[in-house]
Amino acid sequence: MNNTTPTVFVVDDDEAVRRALVRLIRCAGYRAEGFGTAREFLDHDSADDCNACLVLDLQLPDLNGLELQRELNGTGRPLSIVFLTGHGDIPTSVRAMKAGAADFLVKPVNDSDLLSAIEAALERASQALASRIEIEAIYSRIDRLTPREREVLTLVVEGRLNKQMACELGTAEKTIKVHRARVMRKMEAHSLAELVRITDKAGIPHPLLHPPHGAAAVTAS
Amino acid sequence: MTIIRTAALLEAALIALLLLLLLLQLRRARTNEASATTAGSMHAGQGAAMPARERFEFLRASTTGATWDCQTQDSPAGPPHSGKGSRFRQSWRQGWRPIRARLAVLSPARVQRSAVCHEPREGPKEARGDTPEASRHAARALQHDESMRRMLALLPFAILMTDPRGRILLANAGAEKLFGYSQDELIGACADALVPGLQWDTGAVRFSRPVGGTHDLFARRKDGSDFPAEITASDASFDGEPLMLTVVIDRTERYELQRNRQELAHLTRVSTLGELASSLAHELNQPLTAILSNAQAAQRFMSTQPINLAEVREILQDLVEDNHRASEVIRRIRTLIKKGELEAAPLSLDHVIGDVALLLHSDAIVRGIRVVLNTDPRLPSVLGDSVQVQQVVLNLLLNAFHATESCPARDRVVVVDATRDGTDMVRVAVRDRGPGLSADKLEQVFKPFVTSKREGLGLGLSISRSIVEMHGGRIWAGNNSDQGATFCFTLPVAAKTEPANTRNPP
Repeated sequence: MNNTTPTVFVVDDDEAVRRALVRLIRCAGYRAEGFGTAREFLDHDSADDCNACLVLDLQLPDLNGLELQRELNGTGRPLSIVFLTGHGDIPTSVRAMKAGAADFLVKPVNDSDLLSAIEAALERASQALASRIEIEAIYSRIDRLTPREREVLTLVVEGRLNKQMACELGTAEKTIKVHRARVMRKMEAHSLAELVRITDKAGIPHPLLHPPHGAAAVTAS
Repeated sequence: MTIIRTAALLEAALIALLLLLLLLQLRRARTNEASATTAGSMHAGQGAAMPARERFEFLRASTTGATWDCQTQDSPAGPPHSGKGSRFRQSWRQGWRPIRARLAVLSPARVQRSAVCHEPREGPKEARGDTPEASRHAARALQHDESMRRMLALLPFAILMTDPRGRILLANAGAEKLFGYSQDELIGACADALVPGLQWDTGAVRFSRPVGGTHDLFARRKDGSDFPAEITASDASFDGEPLMLTVVIDRTERYELQRNRQELAHLTRVSTLGELASSLAHELNQPLTAILSNAQAAQRFMSTQPINLAEVREILQDLVEDNHRASEVIRRIRTLIKKGELEAAPLSLDHVIGDVALLLHSDAIVRGIRVVLNTDPRLPSVLGDSVQVQQVVLNLLLNAFHATESCPARDRVVVVDATRDGTDMVRVAVRDRGPGLSADKLEQVFKPFVTSKREGLGLGLSISRSIVEMHGGRIWAGNNSDQGATFCFTLPVAAKTEPANTRNPP
């Protein structure tokens, strides 16, 4: 994963525009690559380039910009899109933004506007990446828990007291305390608040946390 | 015996009488043609056995394209009539059906060579006819010819008879009305004041157009106003005097109609431009975007140390090209809305079609349609007005786009073929893969106000048809064997033919 130089992909069917944009973006210190059609971009794009964003025209000969956006959303790739188009109508721009675009610009575009949009898009991309990494880490931590420990984790983040948990799970309070300590250690949390934040990030309640025998019904509240 | 002798004598006498009568008739016929007498009426029925004198022998050009040189008046130009006998026969025949024959002779629609050349008796034609004396003589003769005047008065258009020097000898009531002069003002006046530009000396009129001796010129009224007129001029002779017979028909209405059609064609172009406005704006936007980004990149390069001059030079080159592209789009837009008289020039269909395709480039992309151009590289130039031919191509392409609207992706293709059609025509075909046309619609679509579009005027195809036909071509539609329809039009190749109507009023 090459994280050193952020990359900007420019997809526009007009050769002159593409050349000018790539030149400008490179001038600003980014890596830039141009594509004439959506197909070319999808086929060519290297999967391991995560620190990147897309400058996309709406009117492309094969797949139009919005369709490409939809396809990218479907694959789950964290590419931020800056739309740059000659047709600037409101419904289209709203659709684009709702579908998760970072920005929607109209041609001809000022270099400062374009570059700040690219910056924001890259920032978003890197944030999304960081977030994804973090979540994956949390899940890997959850994987370390035993089923019993997962039960305890669920109840702890709901704010249950030890003796309540003991009662619900049918064990002694002392056992609960041991489980709780192990959970804290494995989850790498140093306080209850941190544990709550971590599980929140991971999107608990999560099916992973449901006890296999389904005894305690855990629901978010 | 006596009875037989008497009978024989009587017979001989009868024969002698007949011969005498024949001789008399001959002499009379000769006298008619030789002298410039004013006597004699042209009424039918008077002396049925003696034909009325034939005054006018029209010398008409045939409509098959021969140029008529009036200087060859001395030699017979029609059927080889020669000699007095034939002339006598001619006038006898003519006299036998006087009124109808003469009206037929006067009508400008006569197709055949009708009469024989008149052989002047004394001296060369110029010396004879050119003297003012002879003209005045002829004038008087004409003026006093009641039946002639009455007949001319009946005709609904202006008729002038002029002498070889262009002086009006006779004018009918129609001429008075059309030009606003009175009879007295017209007689003796110079015809040049009425129809400036037409050659008035007999013999100098050249029928340059193959279709009769018709000219489209501007004629002038008494009040000084000009009006477009159709002028048919023919050489004639009256009692041996060469004359010119001119028919003047007011064509203001037709001229206006023609102008209206041009206006309509122009308005249709402008309205199409309106439809394409956003696509055209996008077309312009692309080079502008490139220019802005390039210029700003150059500014950044200029602020680095050291300055990357090679890069800047490259940028400047690109800037120039981008600017040219923008100008091209503007030029094409201008061509589309140009309003003006038709200018026939040799056109490269490759360029014309290419220009239109570029105009529609953004529109095609927005609609998701692929446009394929197949132009034969050895295609000859066609003669035509580029604006109008472009309008036809534009119309056909937009219609094809419209037909492709509801097609699935693989059928969203429009193909334009330009090929030779025979030796002297070029054919352009616009093919789509849409729903096609029903059999009855194939001809109907070219009628005005027939449209399948919700907001369409339905004029595009009818205007295209009038443009193509004006250029001397044909336009038609047909369904493809597999799917969709093809619209074709042909245009004549430049080298060989002239366009059918390029009337440029002075």
